[in-house]
Amino acid sequence: MSGSDPSVRPPKGHAARIREAVARAAHLLPAQGPIGVFIHHNTLHAFENLTFDDAVRKGAQVFGCEPFLAEDRYREELRRGRILFSELREVLRQDLGRRSDETLQGLSTRWELRLAMLEHPLRMGEGPELDWLMAESDALDRARPDVSEVSRRRLVTATRHWVMCRLRSSAPEQAAPEWAARLFRRFQEGRMEEWDDARWESFSLAVLWEVCVAGVSRAAERVHVNEPPLRHRDRLLAAGGADSDLLVHEHLVRFCGAFLDQGIAHAELPRRDEGFFKSFCRLYADGRGSAAWWSADLGPILRDIERRGLSPEESLGDSLAALGVQEEETEAFVAASLLALKGWAGMLWHVEQRSDRVHRPVPPGTLVEFLAVRLLLERLALRAVARDSLGLDLPLTELRDELWLMRSAAPEDRDKQRAFLVFQLAQVLGWAPESLFRLSPSGWTALLLEIEGFSSFERRRIFHLAYEHRFRVQTLDALALSAARRSARSGRPSFQAVFCIDEREESVRRHLEEVAPACETFGAAGFFGVVMYYRGAAAADFVPLCPVVVRPAHWVSERVERSQEREADRRRAHRRRLGMALRGFHGGSRRMVGGAFFSAALGLLATVPLVMQVLFPRLSAKVRSSFGRFIEPPPATRLQLERTGEAPSPHEDGHGFSCAERLAIAERLLGDLGLRSEFARLVLIFGHGSTSMNNPHESAHDCGACGGGRGGPNARAAAEILNDPRVRSGLRAKGFTVPEDTVFVGGMHNTSSDDFAFYDTDRVPSSLRQEFDAARAAVEEAARRNAHERARRFGSASLGLDHDEAKRHMEARAEDLSQVRPEWGHATNAVCVVGRRDRTRGLFLDRRAFLVSYDPDCDSEGVPVLSRILGAVVPVCSGINLEYYFSYVDSPGWGSGSKLPHNITGLLGVMDGAQSDLRTGLPWQMVEIHEPLRLLFVVEASQDAVLGVMRSNPAVRAAVANRWVQLAVMDPATGAIALYREGAFEPHRPAVAALPAAASSREWYAGWRDHLEFAEIKPPAA
Amino acid sequence: MPAAEQLLTFLGLAVLVAPFVPLAAFLGAALAGRTLSERTVGGLIQGVAWSGLIMASAAGAVMLATGTPWHAIELGDWVITADYHLKFQFLLDVLSLSYVVLTFVLCSVIAAFSTRYLHRERGYARFFVLFSVFLLGMLLASLADTCETLFVGWEMVGLSSVLLIAFFQDRPAPPRNGLRVWIVYRFGDAALMLAAIVMHELNGAGDFDHIVGRHAWPEHDPLLIGPHFALLGVLFVLAAAGKSALAPFSGWLPRAMEGPTPSSAIFYGALSVHLGAFLLLRVSPILDSAPWLSALVVGLGLVTSAVAFLSGRVQTDIKSALAFASLTQVGLIIAEIGLGLRWLALIHLLGHACLRTLQFLRAPSLLHDHHQLEDAIGERPAPERPGWEDRLPEGLRHRLYRFSIERGHLDALLDRLVARPFLALFRWFDARERAWSGFLEGRSGRTDDR
Repeated sequence: MSGSDPSVRPPKGHAARIREAVARAAHLLPAQGPIGVFIHHNTLHAFENLTFDDAVRKGAQVFGCEPFLAEDRYREELRRGRILFSELREVLRQDLGRRSDETLQGLSTRWELRLAMLEHPLRMGEGPELDWLMAESDALDRARPDVSEVSRRRLVTATRHWVMCRLRSSAPEQAAPEWAARLFRRFQEGRMEEWDDARWESFSLAVLWEVCVAGVSRAAERVHVNEPPLRHRDRLLAAGGADSDLLVHEHLVRFCGAFLDQGIAHAELPRRDEGFFKSFCRLYADGRGSAAWWSADLGPILRDIERRGLSPEESLGDSLAALGVQEEETEAFVAASLLALKGWAGMLWHVEQRSDRVHRPVPPGTLVEFLAVRLLLERLALRAVARDSLGLDLPLTELRDELWLMRSAAPEDRDKQRAFLVFQLAQVLGWAPESLFRLSPSGWTALLLEIEGFSSFERRRIFHLAYEHRFRVQTLDALALSAARRSARSGRPSFQAVFCIDEREESVRRHLEEVAPACETFGAAGFFGVVMYYRGAAAADFVPLCPVVVRPAHWVSERVERSQEREADRRRAHRRRLGMALRGFHGGSRRMVGGAFFSAALGLLATVPLVMQVLFPRLSAKVRSSFGRFIEPPPATRLQLERTGEAPSPHEDGHGFSCAERLAIAERLLGDLGLRSEFARLVLIFGHGSTSMNNPHESAHDCGACGGGRGGPNARAAAEILNDPRVRSGLRAKGFTVPEDTVFVGGMHNTSSDDFAFYDTDRVPSSLRQEFDAARAAVEEAARRNAHERARRFGSASLGLDHDEAKRHMEARAEDLSQVRPEWGHATNAVCVVGRRDRTRGLFLDRRAFLVSYDPDCDSEGVPVLSRILGAVVPVCSGINLEYYFSYVDSPGWGSGSKLPHNITGLLGVMDGAQSDLRTGLPWQMVEIHEPLRLLFVVEASQDAVLGVMRSNPAVRAAVANRWVQLAVMDPATGAIALYREGAFEPHRPAVAALPAAASSREWYAGWRDHLEFAEIKPPAA
Repeated sequence: MPAAEQLLTFLGLAVLVAPFVPLAAFLGAALAGRTLSERTVGGLIQGVAWSGLIMASAAGAVMLATGTPWHAIELGDWVITADYHLKFQFLLDVLSLSYVVLTFVLCSVIAAFSTRYLHRERGYARFFVLFSVFLLGMLLASLADTCETLFVGWEMVGLSSVLLIAFFQDRPAPPRNGLRVWIVYRFGDAALMLAAIVMHELNGAGDFDHIVGRHAWPEHDPLLIGPHFALLGVLFVLAAAGKSALAPFSGWLPRAMEGPTPSSAIFYGALSVHLGAFLLLRVSPILDSAPWLSALVVGLGLVTSAVAFLSGRVQTDIKSALAFASLTQVGLIIAEIGLGLRWLALIHLLGHACLRTLQFLRAPSLLHDHHQLEDAIGERPAPERPGWEDRLPEGLRHRLYRFSIERGHLDALLDRLVARPFLALFRWFDARERAWSGFLEGRSGRTDDR
């Protein structure tokens, strides 16, 4: 995003500083744009310059979200073998490096301590909870159930020895501690020699507990860096007051909605054009301003602002002063205030920056104005709430400090909690009470520091590394073994098919290769080099179809064939009439008289579509589409690809590309694919997109390389360009020999219904008819199998479906109003392989791998092709991957939570229920089956080539070096794999000798709903 | 024809018993410590809803065929004293059967919708327990022939509505809004309860036929004049106002959009929000007892409709826009009832419920539909604006907009004039009590047990 500071007015002191502070804080806001065009991006884009670990740590602090999965979740994965204990040990050792074998106070090594803390969930209790635990549970009677028998016995024996030899006989050199006598009394020390095992165990634990309590009390206090929150509201909550943001947000969300609305409301906000601040002031300046109990002063305050002619920046400055915000904390305060309603603030900022993305843009500086309004409301709400719920009637400047003094005091028995930690660890690690007893105060301090230093964040970080490690080992093993058995090409392929790199196409390609073993498939970014604004024959407007970072400079439209133009006009007129009628109906049903008429006269008829659409989604879609056929544009259309005018423009004669531009597109596409001369007679190119009903996030399932659009037109355009004889002769000069008899055909894959469409099939010459029909049949069979493979992931599809039933199930899913999971989208994505298909062909990658075609042999010195591919693929794929990562690890935090209560607002985004912040990120129903892993890139190229690309492309280098993605290279000659670590490559040695094998994909996945290991698909005949 | 009568009694009872089947299954499973699978729950609910629909339609067909205008099902008296009795009695007539059939049609569709929509949701079973309670409540309320029976159903509908609003318990907003709706409901419930008591005081029974006579709806005895009836009428209107979100209670309706989409659709687009109108239809003869009462009803309906229409115009999220659109029509239906247009009101109600349910269910498709419409029309739909608004002076237009975006200031007024004084009063009592107990215990100053 071109996020530059908006310089609205010439900077002048204070106002400029405020604007800058707001602009800097705005980088923290979610960068999601209007939801109609959903573009995946790294949720933590604000911290991309940090390493992944630092970024999630910082992000967790700033946004209050979880950086990793919950600890219990990782332990669960450990239990079921998804994380291997042996690998966890290794990962921990590697992470600690030289520090791992340092001994801590002679008790254990650091590595042992941390491993124990990972392995054993330590119970944490606060105050009364801990007291209850001690009094009511058997924590002091029995050793923890996860303590091994050996450790338990050792604890008892050591305690026994110590107690009997030292404490009881009270050697003269040291006095017995005060607790010893107490325990002796309680346990009736006189009969100690008759004690049974259980009594000794209970006694030993009691001794251990006392030792820990005594030890901790001698250690230094833990230094708590507990920064008080900046915002008054947070301190108000801490002091036990009501939430002032509830009041502010009710007002503010309504107004933001009205200000940003793109066409839901029937009445427009008055004076919207004058900006957020002015329009707010004008609206509420009359009378009391608002009738709410807490904002009675709003009207007078706004009138005063209008009278004094204050600018938003001045008003903001006034508010900051009134709130008692110091100069040096301004920036942090501004950021915290913006983040309190981060969805809306982010949308305002986005729309302000990218006015081209919406129909009703907002003026620059809107975010500053928003903040000014927010603080005005906040001032009123804070005073009212403090007075109302705490009885505090203070000026706001004093209120903040006063509130912090009132907060509930920190629990006193923090010592007990710390002792409890040591108590548990001593059991599992077999620390003898005597050794702990002999620790000096500084020893205790150091020990506690060590234990507390391995915080929940650190533990989860290590768990996560082990979690990723397991998957990486499996993947690299599979790829290495698969690459080693690559077969040489034999003869001309029956046909070739180019798909998007999307990991959802992995399974289609695999099935296609199984159905038609003589074919070849390729993967290229799904805009196929055609960067354009596109308008379909039935569409109202141009849409950009290209990666979001590019702004197209060309326009392409779909035209109905000239012979059918009159028919097309007639149908367009029908469409328009029907559209107007529908609009009249929708709008009318919300009005008084129209609504009364429609509901009384026609309301009962609504039961027909209601019942049909809910109970028979597929049938009703068929009925709809067969009616639709009468008003759709005639099927004979073609793309306006050849430009007649001089310069490209949105006007009729400016549509299309010049000959040289078309040649460049073709050259780039073929170069990326590594196709120079080995063309089949038929080459199919498929874009992809997805249709679903009742899904505000529909666009998130479309092609990422087309900027959240549907890539069919790109495939169609690419095919037509490559069929152009002038382009072909130009290509020949560049070293690409496309044989005379080769024909390209474009198509489109609907990833939710698994339908395939083919474009311009009339132009396939009759000499190729048969081959085309055969290829088409193969593609359709592959689509059915693909639907079947996808069905295994949906609990509502029975595992016993056959291919046709599965295909029908998918079609119904796409049309079903009640279906919140029309498809899984990018969920489970985890790998990106950049290289030749024969390296991965016949490998079951479980729809988890982006497959990018790249032929290192066809690349020239300096690897320009690799550089261009990685430069595009790394940001796009890692953006998708990280968005899924974050939306999964904390769905309500980073993602948008459950989809069920979502409520579309302003045509821009969704809220939860009646009114809430705008929800950004992915809904839980999209990511449910995802495994949060950083994307593993495997690039078939020499190490030097990849290092060279990293040197020349800062974005790629940052992503890899800061560990937002994992990177491995595959040697083009041998297929050996090396993993990137800290600036160098370490060879990967496969841990297994062979992959599991199956005769077909279906045989491998049948009957299983969860993730599958990567396997080799070996058809029995071959 | 006793055979037909027996058949009707049987069908009527079967309809009423139907929702008990899933409830019994849930209870049994809970007692046995088992959880029912999604498939079982979904199948059970859909089976019950569809078979209920068939039985209710069959009852209607039998009544049409035999020309029976009404059929009462008595389940006997529960309490009989010298002065009055409490009776469970149900009535099949054109009004109750239309509403029952509507309930079953919408519930069947929503049940089918929800089994897929809530797939894998943690509260799946909870949703359908509440859904069953709601269905039972709707049936009891619509078939009731005595005020006390109606009250039981009315309460069930209220309780299940509120618990479904608060369905997503892990966020603070749904329970908060649910509580607000609950409080408004309690107000209406109290009015209905008082109405039942007044009916007993008047007649010694809560039977509707004791006041309106036994006639085919909407005809009635013309002799309902007197202050008692007017009081009764006012209480019924208050009860209906709470349930149907009439002014000044309208503010709760958009807040109720917190639950999953299908529950919002069926409760606030269709059944629950019309229950107030249904009540007024049921007791409509009482409204005729005094002209000012009819006028009150008409006025209330029109004011509600106008406020809802104005507020609806400025809503920028689809669920609130639809909620206010619903309310606009509910207001009109109430006004029609007040005007004595009972048949029109009934048809308006049935049609509106179906239409709005469809619109609510399709609400998440808004972007999709909007885009298609845009393509069909060939341009971006311009914001609609009724011509009259342009002719207003600017100041007035601003005030109108503010009135609309603040939803007629209704919530703010309720807060200021009712809720806060009420709270303040009780806080004052609290303070007095503390002071007293402190004084009695011989302590001075304020005792604080926080």
